[in-house]
Amino acid sequence: MNTCEKVREQLSMLLYGELSFDEEGAVDTHLEGCAECRAALEREQELHAAFDRVEIEPPASVLWESRQNLQRQIAAEHAPVYRVSWWDQFLDARWLKSAGALALLSIGFFGARMFPNLGLGFTGMSLVDPGAQRVRSVESGPNGGVQIVLDETRQRVVSGGLDDQNIRVLLLSAAKDPSDPGLRYETVGILNDRAQATEVRDTLIYALEHDENAGVRLKAMDGLKPFVRQAEVRKALAGVLLSDGNPGMRTQAIDLLTQGVGDSTGNTTSNGLDRDIIGTLQELMNHENNAYVRQRGERVLQLVNASRDTY
Amino acid sequence: MAHKAGFQTDEKALILAAQKGDQDAFGQLVRAYDQSVLRLAMNLLRSPEDAQDVYQEAFLRVYRNLNNFRFDCSFHTWLYRIVTNLCLDHMRKRKVRKEESSLVEGSDGPVDRMDTVQESRAESDPQRTMFSGELRERIQKALSELSARERMVFELRHYQGLKLRNIGEILGTTEEAAKNCLFRATQKMRVALGDFI
Repeated sequence: MNTCEKVREQLSMLLYGELSFDEEGAVDTHLEGCAECRAALEREQELHAAFDRVEIEPPASVLWESRQNLQRQIAAEHAPVYRVSWWDQFLDARWLKSAGALALLSIGFFGARMFPNLGLGFTGMSLVDPGAQRVRSVESGPNGGVQIVLDETRQRVVSGGLDDQNIRVLLLSAAKDPSDPGLRYETVGILNDRAQATEVRDTLIYALEHDENAGVRLKAMDGLKPFVRQAEVRKALAGVLLSDGNPGMRTQAIDLLTQGVGDSTGNTTSNGLDRDIIGTLQELMNHENNAYVRQRGERVLQLVNASRDTY
Repeated sequence: MAHKAGFQTDEKALILAAQKGDQDAFGQLVRAYDQSVLRLAMNLLRSPEDAQDVYQEAFLRVYRNLNNFRFDCSFHTWLYRIVTNLCLDHMRKRKVRKEESSLVEGSDGPVDRMDTVQESRAESDPQRTMFSGELRERIQKALSELSARERMVFELRHYQGLKLRNIGEILGTTEEAAKNCLFRATQKMRVALGDFI
């Protein structure tokens, strides 16, 4: 095998960065002096670019559906099975009383969302609401009877103040309900009024860092504005600055983190702009693609006389 | 950009919490990896239904066996071992059933059902519209003619961007064997597409 043949066999691995240091050096040296192999490298690059274009990105709907199904399956693995007779289930309602009130509320509130399509229409069964149950298992009973184990979900309307602990527990859970961004948005908006409570603030920070929906993240950021001096809030905002995919979120994060830098007359002040934030801005400048966000970041760095690259 | 900046440092804490039954922690682990798992399965199997099956089964296995995870390898490697095994099973079964093609009969002749699925970079690349449908068909055909292992290594290296060392670890083989596999795959692809590029 001559040198050209050997080099051409290595071109693909060269593009993948999978040659050893020495192999790569030898190929580079050969390419400098061989026009034909350079042309072969260009063809290899075109081939790789062509491969790129048949890659499939799963639609968001498929991902969402997969997550829902997984959540349902995991919930099903954990659901308790009440092996009592059907008679006991529906005519003796005392079991309802024995269940904790909060658990009932939670089941009603979230169960309806978790199993929206699992209700079975039981015609002729007047004692129960046909839209709020599913059959978990059936088995033959004595004397030709049958035992059916049902999972029930019932909707309940609960009301109360934001300081009611039961209400708050429900709201904190709803703020993380993966199935309904609208619910999360409304819930976060309500929770914003109680962001002085640590548990609420933690939930808002969680939403800011993890919620897939930019509207929910933005809402959570609104609620955290009054607490921008707190270390955990600043850390979360710095995370937004570096990893949130939404340029609007990154812009807002810059504004909040750099409050007090440069007053309305344009005078410079470095009040509160610590080294970490300057470092975060410099890191942002290294990879930020959005021109507007870059401009905002650069302006802040100029105001505090920091370079774009180092501090 | 993904929410991964501070995630990796917390991954061990998340796994430990999930092992103790923390559902939120498990959810965060799933969300950190599930998009790339679904993309891998979808590209390999070219069927949304099969990809969703792999997704469900893989994460259920993780859920059921997380307590046995002892940090002998990274969580990513462990998860991908499960996913790639499931995908390889699907691909091998499909070979046996001779159902390798995702082509279905459309009103204007055979169409690839995955053409209805969004392709990456499709909107951002203006040259996309110039891309020859015939070339794409040839690439897909060439990919389907690779062996299951060649297809897997090619997918993991080219589309998932994993290094051969990591791919060897996932597939239970050496880096050298993975490299040979990738070499064979790219050579076959080059031969199949040589007159097009």
